[in-house]
Amino acid sequence: MNNTRIAIASALAAALVLPAGTSQAQGNMEKCYGIAKAGKNDCQTAKSSCAGTSKKDAQPDAWVSVPKGACEKIIGGKLTPS
Amino acid sequence: MPGLRDLQTAFAAHLGGEDRADLVDAVIGDGIAAASRLRVHRHHVRRSLEGALASTFPTVHALVGEDFFRGMAQAFTLRELPRQPVLAEYGEGFPAHVADYGPAASLPYLADMARLDWALNLAFHAPGAGRLRAEDLAGVAPDRLVGSRLPLAAGATVIQSPYPIDRIWRATRPGALPEPVSLEEGPSALLVLRRADDAGFLALSPAEVSFVLALDGEARVEEAAVAAFSLDQRFDLSATFARLVAAEAFAALQQKSPGW
Amino acid sequence: MLPAAGIGLRSPHFAEIARDRPATGFLEIHAENYLGASPARDGLDELRRDYAISVHAVGLSLGSVDGVDERHLDRVAALVEHLQPALVSDHLAWSVAGGRYFNDLLPLPYTQEALEVVVRNVDRVQERLGRQILVENPSCYLAFAHSTLSEPEFLAELARRSGCGLLLDVNNIVVTAHNLGLDPIDWLRGLPAPVIGEYHLAGHTVNDADGEPILIDDHGSRVGEGVWTLFGEVVRRFGAKPALVEWDTDLPAVDVLLAEADRARDCLNAQEGADARAA
Repeated sequence: MNNTRIAIASALAAALVLPAGTSQAQGNMEKCYGIAKAGKNDCQTAKSSCAGTSKKDAQPDAWVSVPKGACEKIIGGKLTPS
Repeated sequence: MPGLRDLQTAFAAHLGGEDRADLVDAVIGDGIAAASRLRVHRHHVRRSLEGALASTFPTVHALVGEDFFRGMAQAFTLRELPRQPVLAEYGEGFPAHVADYGPAASLPYLADMARLDWALNLAFHAPGAGRLRAEDLAGVAPDRLVGSRLPLAAGATVIQSPYPIDRIWRATRPGALPEPVSLEEGPSALLVLRRADDAGFLALSPAEVSFVLALDGEARVEEAAVAAFSLDQRFDLSATFARLVAAEAFAALQQKSPGW
Repeated sequence: MLPAAGIGLRSPHFAEIARDRPATGFLEIHAENYLGASPARDGLDELRRDYAISVHAVGLSLGSVDGVDERHLDRVAALVEHLQPALVSDHLAWSVAGGRYFNDLLPLPYTQEALEVVVRNVDRVQERLGRQILVENPSCYLAFAHSTLSEPEFLAELARRSGCGLLLDVNNIVVTAHNLGLDPIDWLRGLPAPVIGEYHLAGHTVNDADGEPILIDDHGSRVGEGVWTLFGEVVRRFGAKPALVEWDTDLPAVDVLLAEADRARDCLNAQEGADARAA
C-alpha cells in the first residue's frame, strides 16, 4: 500500500472507533419531516369548495399577491415584485 | 344523454377550468344551478391539491404565506395534475415551477427551498432498511474499506445552493428566533437523509460534498478521499466518515461483492 | 371482525396512538398514505399487533371508464397482502380520466352503462386482491339528468353482480339526501342488509350555494345529531356492523375521536342486545 492509502485507511479506522452515539458522531442533524406529515390522501370535501359558487371562480391574482411569511426574515430578497 | 366516456372527458375539462355547456346540460339544476353544483368539484380539486402541495412544501409555504402559496400552487395545478393517486408523490415539477414563477422572482432562494422540501419528502418515503451501520464495518479491514464503493442509501441526496438554505430552513420553523438570515452568508450544501422516524439533513463542507458525490458516483473510498483532500487539505476524513456512518448515509454493503 | 367501532388513523395522531395504545375497535387507514416505504408504514406494522386494521382506498377510481390503473392496483394489492386487513373498501366514484388524477370522488350517472363499468372494475379489483371489497356511497353535490337508477338501486345491483359488499356512510346519506332533495329514509329502502359490511360516520358543514344551503362532507367536526339519528335507524334496519368515525379537517384531540367511536359502539351494542332479546 502506498502512503496515501495507508493514511486513508488509518483515518477510516479511527472513524470506526469514535464512540458511537456521541453528538459528534451523530452530527447536528435537523429533525425535519416527521410522521405527523405522513398522510396527504383523504376522502373529505374541502370546506371552502363552494366558496364563490355563485360568482366567478375566486382565483388569487398572483401579480397582486405579495409573499407574506417568514421571507420577511430573509435579508437580501425584496418583498415586492420588481 | 352523453355516454360515460364523453361525460368523464367533459368533466375533466370542466375541472381544468373550461366551460362545458354539454356537462352543465347533463346536470340537474334547481334552487342551486347546475353550474354552481359543478363548481363544488372544481374548487375541491384545486383547494385539495394546493393543500397537498402546501403539506409537501412546508418551507416554501412558511416563507411566502398562505395566500401567495395558494396562487403559486394553483398556477401549478392548472398546468400539471397528478398522474397517479398518491399525493405524496405529486409535486416533482413544483421546484421548477417556483423557479419560473414570475411573482416569486424577488425571492431567488425560494426554488432551492422547494428542492429541499421535495428531497425531504422523497427521503421520508424511502425504505428505512438496507442502510450501512457502524457495526457492519466492525470486521472489515481498513485497507479493504479503502478500496470499496459506498453509494448513498435510498432517499439520500445532496442539495447545493448559492444561498444559506439550512439557515433559511431553520428560520421558517415554528418558534424560530426572529433573527434575520442574510443571503450574503453564502452557499450551502445539505445531505438529505431518511432516518428511523423522519427525514433530516446534515450540512456538508465543500470537501465533504466532493467526497459524498464521488462515493455516490461509484468511486472507491480512496478516490473519493483523494478528491476531497485535493479540494481542501484540511478535510477531516475521520470525522466526516464517522458522521456519515452514524447518520446511516450509505447503502448496506453488497453481500457478494468481491473483496468482502 | 366483530361489530366494533373504530377510528380513522390520521398522521397527526399517530405518535400518540402508538404510545398510548388507547382502546378502540379498529383503526382504518387510507391505502394511498401507506404505499411508499415511510416511518408511518413501519409504525403501522407495530400498531397492527394491537389493532384490527381496515384499509380504505381513495384512489382506485372504481367508476373510471378507462378501467382500473393496474400499477396503482398492484401497489394497493401489495399493501393488502402485507397487512391482511379485516376490511378493504373504496368509493362509488371516479377520480381518474385520461391518466390524470383529480383527488376528488367524482359523481357517476346511475345508468346501465356506468353499472357495467363499475361491475367490471370491482371484479378486477376483487380478482387482483383475491378478496371481497366494500364499496361506499359517496357524498353527492349534483345528480345527472340521464340517471335511470337511484343510488341505492345502483349499489344493490353492483353488489349483486360483482359480489362486493357495501360500506354505508351515514353522513354521506344525509349530505346527499339534503343536496339532492331526497328523503334519507327512502334512500335506505331496498338495500340488502346482508351485503352491508361497514358503516362510516363523520361530521359535515353547511355552506351556501346560490343562496341555498348545501352540505359539505368536510369531516371537520363531531358527527351531527341528524346523522346519529339516521345511524340509529340504519343499525335497526341492517344490524350491528363495524362502524368507523372519520375526521380529516381541523382534527380534534384523540380523546374526542375515541368518544365519538364509543357513542357509535353504544348504538351497536344496544342493537346487539335487542337482537339477542328477540332471539
